[in-house]
Amino acid sequence: MITRLPLLFSQITVEDLQREAQRLQHDYTFLSYGLTAAWVITVIYVLMMVGRQRKLKQEIANLKAMLEEKSPSARAR
Amino acid sequence: MREKILYVLGALAVVILVWNINTIVPLPAERNQGVVFKIIFFHVPLAISAMLASGVALIASVMFLITKNFEYDALAVSVTEVGLALLAGNLVTGSIWGRQAWGIWWAWDARLTSALVCWLLYAGYLMLRNAIEEPTQRATFAAVFSIFAFIDVPIVIFSIKWWRTQHPQPVFWGGGSFPADWLPHFLWNMLAIALVAALMVDVRLRQEESQRELDSLRRMAHAI
Repeated sequence: MITRLPLLFSQITVEDLQREAQRLQHDYTFLSYGLTAAWVITVIYVLMMVGRQRKLKQEIANLKAMLEEKSPSARAR
Repeated sequence: MREKILYVLGALAVVILVWNINTIVPLPAERNQGVVFKIIFFHVPLAISAMLASGVALIASVMFLITKNFEYDALAVSVTEVGLALLAGNLVTGSIWGRQAWGIWWAWDARLTSALVCWLLYAGYLMLRNAIEEPTQRATFAAVFSIFAFIDVPIVIFSIKWWRTQHPQPVFWGGGSFPADWLPHFLWNMLAIALVAALMVDVRLRQEESQRELDSLRRMAHAI
């Protein structure tokens, strides 16, 4: 009861405080959602670029090997 | 040398972002919206970077049509793709912010709708490029499309001035207000995100160079 006295004087109920704490918690949750989303999108895009880079390198290497095999000098050998 | 500069810029961007997030966390909560307002440190720089990217894409597209130099086409596609990723980040962070501030995930108001249309237009640009095989035709059609797509960009920027929207007025050049001591943190984040964007554009440009090499190798393979 003693701990509730300041609240009674300032006309703030325990429910008000709980509601405020809940709102604050919600704010932090949504802030973390926002920041996570921004990072996740960046990481997904970077991973897509890495995948594309790997595919391009592989295709270039395959084509170069094929061209070397098919070239006249290679055939003469 | 180019790679070393890239690594240095990348490390610098990461250092700025990590340091700046540490300085943003202790900032006081905004009076009306609380701590969720701090999404602004990512939401707005993502939007500004995306709009800058579309501006660069416009210039590169015009330059390609004038000069027929494929380097401009490579630049246009690189900045468009990176800009699309940035705009996606902007739309998603905005939607999350809106859910907490307005109680809804999405509103079909002028700002949000025009930004979504902008995203769809630039996604269409990339799809158009994938649909055309012949490089010169692909670059020409894509450049013309990019110029038309840019028409939406001023609509996105000025929609909150022209029409009454759910989206608030801009904090820097309109009815909103931004605490003066928050500005340096905002500008640092802006710089870091712009650096990350520039890095991604550079990596994407290299991929376009590789793609051109691959195309020429394919032509050689067909000729043999």
